[in-house]
Amino acid sequence: MPITSKTFVRSTALLLLVGLLALIGIVGTNIWLADRSQVYLDEVIEARIARRAAVDLRASLLDMESGQRGYLLTLDESYLDPYEEARPIVLAQIDALNDVLAPYEVAAEPLQQLEADVAFKVDEMDQTIAQARTGNVTDAVARVLTDQGQQAMGRIMAFIDGLIEAVDERLIEGVGNQRSTGEALRMVAIVGGLIILMVVAGAIWAVLNYTQELANARRAVEQANTSLEERVRERTADLGKANEEIQRFAYIVTHDLRAPLVNIMGFTAELENSVEEVRAYMEGQEASADDPVASQARLAATEDLPEAITFIRAATRKMDGLINAILKISREGRRQLKPEPVELAEVVETSANAVHHQVADGDGTIETDIRVGQLITDRLSLEQILGNMLDNAVKYREPERPLRVEIRARHVPGNRVVIEVEDNGRGIADSDHERVFELFRRSGSQNNPGEGIGLAHVRTMVRSLGGDVTLTSQLGEGTTFIINLPRDSRGFLGRLGA
Amino acid sequence: MNNARPVTIVMVEDDEGHARLIEKNIRRAGVANEIVPFTNGTDALAYLMGPDGSGLVNKGRQLLVLLDLNLPDMTGIDILEKVKSNEHTKRSPVVVLTTTDDQREIQRCYDLGANVYITKPVDYDGFANAIKQLGLFFSVMQIPETE
Repeated sequence: MPITSKTFVRSTALLLLVGLLALIGIVGTNIWLADRSQVYLDEVIEARIARRAAVDLRASLLDMESGQRGYLLTLDESYLDPYEEARPIVLAQIDALNDVLAPYEVAAEPLQQLEADVAFKVDEMDQTIAQARTGNVTDAVARVLTDQGQQAMGRIMAFIDGLIEAVDERLIEGVGNQRSTGEALRMVAIVGGLIILMVVAGAIWAVLNYTQELANARRAVEQANTSLEERVRERTADLGKANEEIQRFAYIVTHDLRAPLVNIMGFTAELENSVEEVRAYMEGQEASADDPVASQARLAATEDLPEAITFIRAATRKMDGLINAILKISREGRRQLKPEPVELAEVVETSANAVHHQVADGDGTIETDIRVGQLITDRLSLEQILGNMLDNAVKYREPERPLRVEIRARHVPGNRVVIEVEDNGRGIADSDHERVFELFRRSGSQNNPGEGIGLAHVRTMVRSLGGDVTLTSQLGEGTTFIINLPRDSRGFLGRLGA
Repeated sequence: MNNARPVTIVMVEDDEGHARLIEKNIRRAGVANEIVPFTNGTDALAYLMGPDGSGLVNKGRQLLVLLDLNLPDMTGIDILEKVKSNEHTKRSPVVVLTTTDDQREIQRCYDLGANVYITKPVDYDGFANAIKQLGLFFSVMQIPETE
């Protein structure tokens, strides 16, 4: 069963609730059962007090009776000792029994009977002993023989025996109750414990299951990542292939374009030589105004033809420049890049020195602030990139003010470095920010020679190192080129090769 | 020019304009040897190797091959390879004359036995100059007897 974090939270909360209820149940029943057992204990104690009172009363009455009977038989006063001892406490013992049995209404009537019987019996014993003391033993014996005292005594004994029996029953019942309470307590503890155990087991299961789900999800994510990386690698390889194809195409095209150009230029030169000869001959001839054909031929040889040839030459030279530019870029793309450790500060220094002369001419300065050490990249490309940037700075400076160039380099996250080349030159109009990186495109007034390949070349080189180049510029104030390169190009170059 | 050795120049060049310019400049350099032009590789190979392809026809002849690499039916490298691997023609100097200035291609030509490699410059003065120097080169070069 897949567990989402929501159901996980819900199920664990439910389990905790069940565990809490079980715990409350156990504690509640425990308190209740403890109360119950206290009640049973009280009852037992009460029963034992009642039993004690009854037994004491019986013992006192029996003592009194045996004392009376001994005296009546022997008339020896010493036999009366137990009687005399028990006689004062009998009433108190009856009161005690009354107190104990007071809560029980069923016991009220038998108790009255008991009181009456005890009073009667005690009275009988007092009178018989008094009669015997006065010597009237015969009357006393006759009184005993009426069996009325004996009957009262029998009733008392029966009551007390019954009471004791009832109390004993109550005691047994109380102990039974106590035991069942203990039993219930144990059951509750066992059942509650089981529930808590189940809850804990359920919680553990849920946690384990959830952890498992998390691990699975993480594995899936990792797998997706790997396949994504695989795809990126494939795409990069495809891109590399496409790039190679384009370069191959550019290379072939330029060569095929070159062959006819060789002809055009070659035969133009031949033509020029021939025209030169014709012109020399024509100029040697006397101008004959009356022959229009001759004067036209002369005009053609001395002016029109040389002019046409000049234009053809200029056009072919321009075309040659463009073809060479494409060739240069395509050759650059075909060059095997060699990543090697390069001290950036050193390369910057070299590039700055290369243009030092031109910069110093106009009181210009180049400042560097390199906070990057070693890069692993293609040295030649880096030199060409920086050289191009500095050449541009010099070439497109604002003649009104001395040139200031600042080269800064720093690390940025992702193991990359940013090199900024800032100048205070004439700047690039907003609409041309992207265009200047295109082949054969130039910005601003075209007062400097050039084919418009420098920045296109720079971008090609930077990209082939796995970086990119952008610019920010304010027209008339200056331009900052921002080159972002990987610190180590091997990874990128390796992927392209794969 | 040492006319005691009648060297035949075999020019394999598909662009007739180039062929004409090359010929003109060779003549201008004072080289008067016979030039046999071909505009495709098949005909050139037939001439060089003979109809049986053994190269026996050129036994004892002194040839100099001017070779363009971009041919319509094959690359000049194929011809170079065949000329340099045939025992009757392998001593004939081969001058590769083409627009390609790819280092790897040049290296490959030398590896296969090309004697000279000349890139056709687009600018005509350079081109004419290169051809003239080639003529000078012909005049001092000793073509070995293939006997």
